[in-house]
Amino acid sequence: MTVFALIIINKAGGLIYNKTFHEAGLNKVSTNDLLVLAGTFHGVHAITSKLNPVKPTPDRSSTASNSGLANRPEPPSGLEVLESENFRLQCFNTMTGTKFLLFTDTTQANVDVTIRKVYDLYSDYVMKNPFYQLEMPVRCDMFDRKLLSYIREINNR
Amino acid sequence: MVVYSFYIFDRHTECIYAKSWLPDSSRPVSGSQPITNGSSKPIRRDDNDNTAKLIFGTVFSLRNMVRRLGGDDDAFISYRTAQYKLHYYETPSNTRFVMLTDIGTMSMRNVLHQIYINLWVEYVVKNPLSPVEHKGGEGVKNELFELGLDQFVRGLM
Repeated sequence: MTVFALIIINKAGGLIYNKTFHEAGLNKVSTNDLLVLAGTFHGVHAITSKLNPVKPTPDRSSTASNSGLANRPEPPSGLEVLESENFRLQCFNTMTGTKFLLFTDTTQANVDVTIRKVYDLYSDYVMKNPFYQLEMPVRCDMFDRKLLSYIREINNR
Repeated sequence: MVVYSFYIFDRHTECIYAKSWLPDSSRPVSGSQPITNGSSKPIRRDDNDNTAKLIFGTVFSLRNMVRRLGGDDDAFISYRTAQYKLHYYETPSNTRFVMLTDIGTMSMRNVLHQIYINLWVEYVVKNPLSPVEHKGGEGVKNELFELGLDQFVRGLM
């Protein structure tokens, strides 16, 4: 059970945070390439939500006009989990469009719990930091420390 | 498990075969359509074509991303959203097989591999009348291949 890396992408597709926890897991990628990668993923994520082959049932949409927003169908979500031979990528899209990408090994379980916890840490130590500028790269010592100790706990389990 | 659709792309990035097992009312369409009140809207012929292009763009980007991060021997296997799951298999000659299923489905990589070995190689590659390049799906849309594929996929469901 290993968590390889964390990437945070803002709602415009810009890379605002990246951290590697396990050196052997993923290839070394330069910051420039990582920025390109974040932008690409942002676009692909939007396309994957459009590709949804299952259409909402028409009878539900016809009653929607009577009861207002209550039974509007859930908007299609984009990519949530990606699997490859060497790693597994979990994506968590927040309500505001910030994306958390967690790279783990292929056997890692309960990644959704881990990623929620990372989001908690982000809300507590980044969003509540009065010096943090929205949508800008994350440079918060407290967040770094808490994140590192949390992930280390998982990797040593 | 439910199989929604299946696509084959050749090494020139062209979609040479596409098949959908969805009922006509919920055929995959690209882009968001205004919700009609269940009235049957004529399906434009290029809808499927556009979906195929979007799917190719997605798997191409994700494949490159996976290779960049996981090394050259890594292979993109599948991704999942809240609505559907996409499975990917690439042959050494860069023919790409893509299948869209519901989210409960396990890995279909071996199934795509079986389609490649037992149907593609047997009925398309070994067909003396089939051209080397399948421009516009030429040589792929033969009776044996289509029948075999339909039977094989219906057997899975």
